[in-house]
Amino acid sequence: MGSMAWGDFLVALVCCGATMLLCRVVPLFALKGRNLPEGVERALGFIPPAAFAALVANDLLSPGMFDAGLWPAAAPLVAAGVVALVAWRTKSLLWCAVSGVAAYALLTLL
Amino acid sequence: MLGYVAIGVPCGILSASIGLDALQAFLLSALFYSGAGQFMIPNMWIAGAPLASIIASVSLVNTRQMLYSAAFAPACRGVRKRLAFLFAATVTDESYGVNVAKFSEGGWSVGRATAVNLLSQSSWALSNVAGVLVGNAVGVPLAIASFAMTSIFICLLVTQKPSAANLVAAVTAVLGVVACKAAGLSGPAILVGALAGVAAALAFSWAGRRG
Repeated sequence: MGSMAWGDFLVALVCCGATMLLCRVVPLFALKGRNLPEGVERALGFIPPAAFAALVANDLLSPGMFDAGLWPAAAPLVAAGVVALVAWRTKSLLWCAVSGVAAYALLTLL
Repeated sequence: MLGYVAIGVPCGILSASIGLDALQAFLLSALFYSGAGQFMIPNMWIAGAPLASIIASVSLVNTRQMLYSAAFAPACRGVRKRLAFLFAATVTDESYGVNVAKFSEGGWSVGRATAVNLLSQSSWALSNVAGVLVGNAVGVPLAIASFAMTSIFICLLVTQKPSAANLVAAVTAVLGVVACKAAGLSGPAILVGALAGVAAALAFSWAGRRG
Protein backbone atom coordinates (compact mmCIF):
# COMPACT_ATOMS: atom_id res chain seq x y z
CA MET A 1 0.00 0.00 0.00
CA GLY A 2 1.49 3.31 -1.10
CA SER A 3 1.22 6.65 0.56
CA MET A 4 -0.79 9.45 -0.99
CA ALA A 5 1.34 12.14 -2.68
CA TRP A 6 0.55 15.88 -2.33
CA GLY A 7 -0.77 16.05 -5.90
CA ASP A 8 -3.32 13.28 -5.37
CA PHE A 9 -4.12 14.73 -1.96
CA LEU A 10 -4.91 18.16 -3.42
CA VAL A 11 -7.11 16.69 -6.15
CA ALA A 12 -9.05 14.70 -3.55
CA LEU A 13 -9.28 17.70 -1.20
CA VAL A 14 -10.49 20.13 -3.87
CA CYS A 15 -12.97 17.74 -5.52
CA CYS A 16 -14.45 16.29 -2.33
CA GLY A 17 -14.42 19.72 -0.66
CA ALA A 18 -16.17 21.35 -3.63
CA THR A 19 -18.96 18.78 -3.94
CA MET A 20 -19.41 18.91 -0.18
CA LEU A 21 -19.66 22.71 -0.11
CA LEU A 22 -22.16 22.70 -3.00
CA CYS A 23 -24.33 20.06 -1.32
CA ARG A 24 -24.25 21.98 1.96
CA VAL A 25 -24.88 25.49 0.67
CA VAL A 26 -26.85 25.40 -2.59
CA PRO A 27 -30.15 23.89 -1.33
CA LEU A 28 -30.33 26.38 1.54
CA PHE A 29 -29.94 29.38 -0.75
CA ALA A 30 -31.87 28.00 -3.72
CA LEU A 31 -34.98 27.06 -1.76
CA LYS A 32 -35.48 30.16 0.35
CA GLY A 33 -37.97 28.22 2.41
CA ARG A 34 -39.72 26.37 -0.43
CA ASN A 35 -39.57 22.59 -0.57
CA LEU A 36 -37.54 20.40 -2.95
CA PRO A 37 -39.46 18.71 -5.78
CA GLU A 38 -41.00 15.60 -4.26
CA GLY A 39 -39.21 13.04 -6.46
CA VAL A 40 -35.82 14.62 -5.78
CA GLU A 41 -36.49 14.72 -2.07
CA ARG A 42 -37.51 11.06 -2.08
CA ALA A 43 -34.39 9.98 -4.00
CA LEU A 44 -32.17 12.01 -1.65
CA GLY A 45 -33.91 10.42 1.31
CA PHE A 46 -32.91 6.96 0.11
CA ILE A 47 -29.24 7.86 -0.20
CA PRO A 48 -28.36 7.63 3.51
CA PRO A 49 -29.72 4.10 4.12
CA ALA A 50 -28.31 2.86 0.80
CA ALA A 51 -24.92 4.56 1.19
CA PHE A 52 -24.40 3.57 4.83
CA ALA A 53 -25.47 -0.04 4.12
CA ALA A 54 -23.02 -0.15 1.20
CA LEU A 55 -20.22 1.24 3.37
CA VAL A 56 -20.91 -1.27 6.16
CA ALA A 57 -21.12 -4.17 3.71
CA ASN A 58 -17.90 -3.07 2.06
CA ASP A 59 -16.12 -3.13 5.42
CA LEU A 60 -17.58 -6.39 6.72
CA LEU A 61 -18.23 -8.69 3.79
CA SER A 62 -16.04 -10.15 1.10
CA PRO A 63 -16.39 -13.31 -0.96
CA GLY A 64 -14.32 -16.14 0.46
CA MET A 65 -14.01 -14.53 3.88
CA PHE A 66 -14.84 -17.86 5.58
CA ASP A 67 -12.45 -19.91 3.44
CA ALA A 68 -9.90 -20.09 6.25
CA GLY A 69 -12.46 -21.17 8.83
CA LEU A 70 -15.34 -19.62 10.70
CA TRP A 71 -13.77 -17.96 13.70
CA PRO A 72 -11.31 -15.22 12.93
CA ALA A 73 -13.47 -14.14 9.99
CA ALA A 74 -16.60 -13.90 12.11
CA ALA A 75 -15.01 -11.61 14.74
CA PRO A 76 -15.83 -8.34 12.89
CA LEU A 77 -19.39 -9.55 12.35
CA VAL A 78 -19.85 -10.22 16.06
CA ALA A 79 -18.33 -6.80 16.90
CA ALA A 80 -20.70 -5.25 14.34
CA GLY A 81 -23.61 -6.93 16.11
CA VAL A 82 -22.49 -5.38 19.39
CA VAL A 83 -22.32 -1.93 17.75
CA ALA A 84 -25.77 -2.34 16.18
CA LEU A 85 -27.17 -3.11 19.63
CA VAL A 86 -25.42 -0.07 21.16
CA ALA A 87 -26.63 2.12 18.26
CA TRP A 88 -30.20 0.95 18.72
CA ARG A 89 -30.12 1.56 22.50
CA THR A 90 -28.13 4.82 22.67
CA LYS A 91 -28.24 6.40 19.15
CA SER A 92 -24.82 7.80 20.11
CA LEU A 93 -21.94 7.94 17.62
CA LEU A 94 -19.49 8.25 20.49
CA TRP A 95 -20.64 5.08 22.27
CA CYS A 96 -20.78 3.20 18.99
CA ALA A 97 -17.19 4.12 18.13
CA VAL A 98 -15.93 3.27 21.62
CA SER A 99 -17.83 -0.02 21.97
CA GLY A 100 -17.02 -1.04 18.39
CA VAL A 101 -13.27 -0.53 18.77
CA ALA A 102 -13.26 -2.23 22.20
CA ALA A 103 -15.31 -5.23 21.00
CA TYR A 104 -13.24 -5.61 17.86
CA ALA A 105 -9.93 -5.38 19.75
CA LEU A 106 -11.07 -7.90 22.38
CA LEU A 107 -12.43 -10.37 19.81
CA THR A 108 -9.37 -10.28 17.54
CA LEU A 109 -6.95 -10.57 20.47
CA LEU A 110 -8.81 -13.60 21.92
CA MET B 1 -17.79 17.66 21.49
CA LEU B 2 -16.41 14.43 23.00
CA GLY B 3 -17.92 12.52 20.12
CA TYR B 4 -15.74 14.43 17.66
CA VAL B 5 -12.60 13.58 19.65
CA ALA B 6 -13.46 9.86 19.87
CA ILE B 7 -13.91 9.71 16.10
CA GLY B 8 -11.33 12.34 15.12
CA VAL B 9 -8.35 10.60 16.72
CA PRO B 10 -8.87 7.25 14.89
CA CYS B 11 -9.54 9.25 11.71
CA GLY B 12 -6.20 11.01 12.13
CA ILE B 13 -4.45 7.68 12.76
CA LEU B 14 -5.92 6.30 9.56
CA SER B 15 -4.93 9.46 7.63
CA ALA B 16 -1.36 9.10 8.89
CA SER B 17 -1.30 5.51 7.59
CA ILE B 18 -1.55 6.73 3.98
CA GLY B 19 1.23 9.24 4.58
CA LEU B 20 -0.83 12.37 5.22
CA ASP B 21 0.84 14.78 7.65
CA ALA B 22 -0.69 16.97 10.35
CA LEU B 23 -1.12 19.92 7.95
CA GLN B 24 -2.97 17.78 5.40
CA ALA B 25 -5.24 16.31 8.07
CA PHE B 26 -5.95 19.85 9.29
CA LEU B 27 -6.74 21.08 5.76
CA LEU B 28 -9.13 18.18 5.16
CA SER B 29 -10.86 18.77 8.49
CA ALA B 30 -11.14 22.52 7.96
CA LEU B 31 -12.10 22.63 4.27
CA PHE B 32 -13.86 19.32 3.66
CA TYR B 33 -15.04 18.59 7.22
CA SER B 34 -16.73 15.23 6.87
CA GLY B 35 -16.25 12.33 9.26
CA ALA B 36 -17.56 9.71 6.87
CA GLY B 37 -15.65 11.19 3.93
CA GLN B 38 -12.37 11.56 5.78
CA PHE B 39 -12.54 7.90 6.83
CA MET B 40 -13.50 6.79 3.32
CA ILE B 41 -10.55 8.46 1.60
CA PRO B 42 -7.75 6.58 3.46
CA ASN B 43 -9.78 3.38 3.63
CA MET B 44 -10.46 3.24 -0.11
CA TRP B 45 -6.89 4.36 -0.86
CA ILE B 46 -5.54 1.45 1.23
CA ALA B 47 -7.93 -0.89 -0.61
CA GLY B 48 -6.29 0.26 -3.85
CA ALA B 49 -9.26 2.16 -5.30
CA PRO B 50 -8.40 4.66 -8.08
CA LEU B 51 -8.61 8.35 -7.15
CA ALA B 52 -11.60 8.99 -9.46
CA SER B 53 -13.55 6.19 -7.81
CA ILE B 54 -12.74 7.56 -4.35
CA ILE B 55 -13.94 11.05 -5.33
CA ALA B 56 -17.13 9.71 -6.94
CA SER B 57 -17.99 7.56 -3.89
CA VAL B 58 -17.22 10.33 -1.41
CA SER B 59 -19.25 12.84 -3.45
CA LEU B 60 -22.22 10.49 -3.57
CA VAL B 61 -22.10 10.14 0.20
CA ASN B 62 -21.79 13.97 0.42
CA THR B 63 -25.19 14.41 -1.24
CA ARG B 64 -26.93 13.45 2.02
CA GLN B 65 -25.99 16.98 3.16
CA MET B 66 -28.46 18.42 0.62
CA LEU B 67 -31.29 17.13 2.78
CA TYR B 68 -29.89 18.82 5.87
CA SER B 69 -29.33 22.04 3.96
CA ALA B 70 -32.88 22.04 2.62
CA ALA B 71 -34.20 21.37 6.11
CA PHE B 72 -32.52 24.52 7.48
CA ALA B 73 -33.71 26.83 4.68
CA PRO B 74 -36.79 28.08 6.56
CA ALA B 75 -34.75 28.89 9.68
CA CYS B 76 -32.31 30.98 7.63
CA ARG B 77 -34.95 33.26 6.10
CA GLY B 78 -34.04 36.88 6.80
CA VAL B 79 -30.58 35.97 8.11
CA ARG B 80 -27.55 37.85 6.72
CA LYS B 81 -26.12 36.05 3.69
CA ARG B 82 -22.62 35.72 5.09
CA LEU B 83 -23.84 34.16 8.33
CA ALA B 84 -26.25 31.84 6.49
CA PHE B 85 -23.36 30.71 4.27
CA LEU B 86 -21.05 30.04 7.21
CA PHE B 87 -23.82 28.15 8.99
CA ALA B 88 -24.72 26.07 5.92
CA ALA B 89 -21.07 25.24 5.18
CA THR B 90 -20.46 23.79 8.65
CA VAL B 91 -23.48 21.48 9.08
CA THR B 92 -22.65 17.82 9.81
CA ASP B 93 -24.55 14.62 10.59
CA GLU B 94 -24.13 15.17 14.31
CA SER B 95 -24.61 18.94 14.61
CA TYR B 96 -27.65 18.68 12.29
CA GLY B 97 -29.43 16.57 14.89
CA VAL B 98 -28.49 18.93 17.71
CA ASN B 99 -29.55 22.09 15.88
CA VAL B 100 -32.81 20.67 14.51
CA ALA B 101 -33.83 19.83 18.06
CA LYS B 102 -32.85 23.31 19.32
CA PHE B 103 -34.66 25.13 16.48
CA SER B 104 -37.85 23.16 17.09
CA GLU B 105 -37.71 24.01 20.81
CA GLY B 106 -37.59 27.68 19.80
CA GLY B 107 -35.43 30.49 21.21
CA TRP B 108 -32.52 29.31 19.07
CA SER B 109 -30.77 31.53 16.51
CA VAL B 110 -28.70 30.88 13.41
CA GLY B 111 -25.85 32.74 15.13
CA ARG B 112 -25.82 30.35 18.08
CA ALA B 113 -26.25 27.34 15.78
CA THR B 114 -23.21 28.53 13.81
CA ALA B 115 -21.24 28.80 17.06
CA VAL B 116 -22.10 25.15 17.83
CA ASN B 117 -20.98 24.18 14.33
CA LEU B 118 -17.66 26.05 14.57
CA LEU B 119 -16.90 24.61 18.01
CA SER B 120 -17.57 21.11 16.66
CA GLN B 121 -15.36 21.80 13.65
CA SER B 122 -12.49 23.01 15.84
CA SER B 123 -12.58 19.92 18.05
CA TRP B 124 -12.79 17.76 14.93
CA ALA B 125 -9.75 19.43 13.33
CA LEU B 126 -7.67 19.35 16.51
CA SER B 127 -8.43 15.68 17.23
CA ASN B 128 -7.55 14.77 13.64
CA VAL B 129 -4.18 16.48 14.02
CA ALA B 130 -3.70 14.70 17.37
CA GLY B 131 -4.57 11.41 15.64
CA VAL B 132 -1.91 11.96 12.97
CA LEU B 133 0.70 12.60 15.68
CA VAL B 134 -0.42 9.50 17.63
CA GLY B 135 -0.44 7.43 14.44
CA ASN B 136 3.11 8.47 13.61
CA ALA B 137 4.34 7.85 17.16
CA VAL B 138 2.85 4.45 17.95
CA GLY B 139 1.79 1.58 15.72
CA VAL B 140 -1.94 1.30 16.36
CA PRO B 141 -3.20 -1.70 14.38
CA LEU B 142 -5.01 -0.18 11.38
CA ALA B 143 -7.77 -2.76 11.41
CA ILE B 144 -8.73 -1.57 14.90
CA ALA B 145 -8.61 2.16 14.03
CA SER B 146 -10.65 1.61 10.90
CA PHE B 147 -13.27 -0.33 12.85
CA ALA B 148 -14.12 2.99 14.51
CA MET B 149 -15.38 4.06 11.10
CA THR B 150 -17.28 0.83 10.52
CA SER B 151 -18.92 1.36 13.92
CA ILE B 152 -19.99 4.87 12.97
CA PHE B 153 -21.46 3.71 9.68
CA ILE B 154 -23.36 0.98 11.55
CA CYS B 155 -24.68 3.62 13.96
CA LEU B 156 -25.76 5.91 11.11
CA LEU B 157 -27.41 2.95 9.36
CA VAL B 158 -29.25 1.67 12.44
CA THR B 159 -30.58 5.16 13.26
CA GLN B 160 -32.26 5.54 9.83
CA LYS B 161 -36.04 5.49 9.82
CA PRO B 162 -37.03 1.78 9.75
CA SER B 163 -39.42 2.02 6.78
CA ALA B 164 -39.93 -0.77 4.25
CA ALA B 165 -38.45 1.34 1.43
CA ASN B 166 -35.34 2.14 3.49
CA LEU B 167 -34.96 -1.57 4.18
CA VAL B 168 -35.15 -2.28 0.44
CA ALA B 169 -32.48 0.40 -0.14
CA ALA B 170 -30.15 -1.05 2.49
CA VAL B 171 -30.54 -4.72 1.55
CA THR B 172 -30.12 -4.00 -2.17
CA ALA B 173 -27.02 -1.91 -1.44
CA VAL B 174 -25.47 -4.77 0.58
CA LEU B 175 -26.22 -7.28 -2.20
CA GLY B 176 -24.82 -4.84 -4.77
CA VAL B 177 -21.55 -4.48 -2.86
CA VAL B 178 -21.15 -8.24 -2.42
CA ALA B 179 -21.96 -8.84 -6.09
CA CYS B 180 -19.40 -6.24 -7.21
CA LYS B 181 -16.72 -7.74 -4.98
CA ALA B 182 -17.53 -11.26 -6.21
CA ALA B 183 -17.06 -9.96 -9.77
CA GLY B 184 -13.67 -8.54 -8.79
CA LEU B 185 -14.84 -4.90 -8.92
CA SER B 186 -13.97 -3.87 -5.37
CA GLY B 187 -13.06 -0.28 -6.40
CA PRO B 188 -16.54 0.95 -7.43
CA ALA B 189 -18.39 -1.48 -5.12
CA ILE B 190 -19.61 1.21 -2.68
CA LEU B 191 -20.82 3.54 -5.43
CA VAL B 192 -22.55 0.81 -7.46
CA GLY B 193 -24.10 -0.77 -4.36
CA ALA B 194 -25.45 2.55 -3.06
CA LEU B 195 -26.89 3.57 -6.44
CA ALA B 196 -28.53 0.15 -6.82
CA GLY B 197 -30.05 0.60 -3.36
CA VAL B 198 -31.48 4.06 -4.20
CA ALA B 199 -32.87 2.81 -7.52
CA ALA B 200 -34.49 -0.25 -5.91
CA ALA B 201 -36.06 1.84 -3.15
CA LEU B 202 -37.44 4.37 -5.67
CA ALA B 203 -38.90 1.56 -7.78
CA PHE B 204 -40.33 -0.02 -4.63
CA SER B 205 -41.99 3.20 -3.47
CA TRP B 206 -43.43 3.95 -6.94
CA ALA B 207 -44.77 0.41 -7.23
CA GLY B 208 -46.30 0.73 -3.76
CA ARG B 209 -48.11 3.93 -4.77
CA ARG B 210 -49.60 2.46 -7.94
CA GLY B 211 -50.61 -0.79 -6.27
